[in-house]
Amino acid sequence: MTIALMLIGMFALALLNVPIAVALGIVATAAILVIQGPASLPNMALVMFDGASSFPLLAIPLFILAGAIMNVSSISRRLIAFTSACFGFVRGGLSMVTIGASMFFAEISGSAVAGVAALGTILIPAMRSRGYSKEFAAAISSSSASLAIIIPPSIPMILYAVMAQTSVVKMFVAGILPGILGAIGLAVAAYIQAVRYNFPVEEKFQLSRVWRTLKEAAWAFMLPVIILGGIFGGFVTATEGAGLAVAAALVIGGLIYRDLNLRDLRKACIDGAVQTAVVMLLVASSALIGTFLTEAKLPQALAQSITGFTSNPYVILLLLNVFFLILGMFLHSAAAIILTVPIVMPMITAVGIDPIHFGLVLTLNLAIGQQTPPVASVLIASCAIAKSDIWETTKVNLPFILALLVVLLLCSYVPWISLVLVHLFYGSTG
Amino acid sequence: MSLKSIRVAFERLLEAIALVLMVSLTALVIAGATFRYLGNALSWYDELASIGLVWLTYYGSALAALRGAHIGVTGVVNAMPAKARVIVAVFAEAMVFLFFGMLAYYGVQVLLVLQGEYMISLPEVPTQLTQSAIPVGAVLFMIAEALRLPEIMRAARGEGFVDLEIKEALELGAHDGKSKAAGGLQ
Repeated sequence: MTIALMLIGMFALALLNVPIAVALGIVATAAILVIQGPASLPNMALVMFDGASSFPLLAIPLFILAGAIMNVSSISRRLIAFTSACFGFVRGGLSMVTIGASMFFAEISGSAVAGVAALGTILIPAMRSRGYSKEFAAAISSSSASLAIIIPPSIPMILYAVMAQTSVVKMFVAGILPGILGAIGLAVAAYIQAVRYNFPVEEKFQLSRVWRTLKEAAWAFMLPVIILGGIFGGFVTATEGAGLAVAAALVIGGLIYRDLNLRDLRKACIDGAVQTAVVMLLVASSALIGTFLTEAKLPQALAQSITGFTSNPYVILLLLNVFFLILGMFLHSAAAIILTVPIVMPMITAVGIDPIHFGLVLTLNLAIGQQTPPVASVLIASCAIAKSDIWETTKVNLPFILALLVVLLLCSYVPWISLVLVHLFYGSTG
Repeated sequence: MSLKSIRVAFERLLEAIALVLMVSLTALVIAGATFRYLGNALSWYDELASIGLVWLTYYGSALAALRGAHIGVTGVVNAMPAKARVIVAVFAEAMVFLFFGMLAYYGVQVLLVLQGEYMISLPEVPTQLTQSAIPVGAVLFMIAEALRLPEIMRAARGEGFVDLEIKEALELGAHDGKSKAAGGLQ
């Protein structure tokens, strides 16, 4: 009963535009007062501290910072030049370049909005000048940027792994194949449209050009090798890998390419701190609610009532997919993870779904959620750069969303895709 | 001093704190990883870094509040007539002050209880210092929210609330778009 009241209160407050972190905090504090009495109220300050104190979550500000540094250096421009030399000869070459460059960018940055900001500001004007419509330019930039949260490292994956108490590194490994599949799916959808609208070819394929641009971007390509190699090889933890990413981006952008300036760096640090704080305040106040969820055994009750109805993991995955796709239209990905993962986890384990597999399915859902308005951070950023209407762009974006949906279904029902590399590298997912 | 100049000064202060915290946390993690790799692990590094994240959370949250960056659901409120929106906005702000007011108050009470306790791995550092981020952060949050109040009420009376991400992306489109596109594809 209390829990039902708490949930209703939470939703009511959130819908009235009370910041979600505050809505969680107010409801939880009221519950402390009613259930445990006023003497327990000081606990809220302790829980708000402990909830934010986490070593694994420290990877979040560091990966945000690494992405922001890449953003202000010439690293992203070099990535684009190389992918252009590789894929520019295909019909609709610039859309292929967008997908390819987004994939490389995703290996260093964990944030899709950072990807749009870095690549979209260059590629959208380029596509416009080659005769692509502004809606198409915005749509392809937006959907390929969502690869950033599927391909490791990924901020939503870090959040999920911490909330679900599973391994951040194994989540990262699980994202590799689905990320590649996602890129292929987008490329197929882009090619079909390119033929239909007769988009231009960029340049003839020249091995010499590929070689030259590869040499110019060689240091930029060292970044993912160092970071992912370090993390997957077990030399550093995910958090240390994130620290390494910042150091490497600083050395390559600052000492080798020499195109970082202090003003940009200062802004990158401050904006990174704000983005981190927004996510972490939610994490902290969800810890307040978490104590009640545990005591009321709500997640267990939910697990029981659903498994009484069906214990088929495929049916449950389908239901969850529908639920998360709808949720993704209205909620930012960080908020969706923080609010739902503690509640659905016992159900996932009860029906025997691997937590790593589920984490990946959830991440794919959130990647699509970033594309579905009205709340669609990546799409909105991309439309703002292209100066296109959000709903018109969404129409053009539908084939790309469909491609991502196909990948989502594949990954939901073929757990092998997400788990094979994890088994290969680590022997087990546990 | 006008309200505007107070706000600018306050923003500078919070930005400076955020900058220092971000830089020192990054340096700490890199140093910690290096020392561990060299076989000379720093015993206090995990604990200090985790506390650093809490500080970044609360000092950064105050700055985020000043910028209006905290995640909320604007759709329903924006669909309301302006009069209703003003009432709802007053209510929502009251909730924010209520929560952070309590956090500040009980945060101070916790500090009093923690008298004489110290960090586990760094026994020189009193827990009162590490935990101070909660009440101090909560007070800074309320100051930030108060400074942004006129802006919030103006948005409530006018066209409704705009997501910060949209605002930032629009700025990106306006400035970076031109400068980067100029140097864009060679």
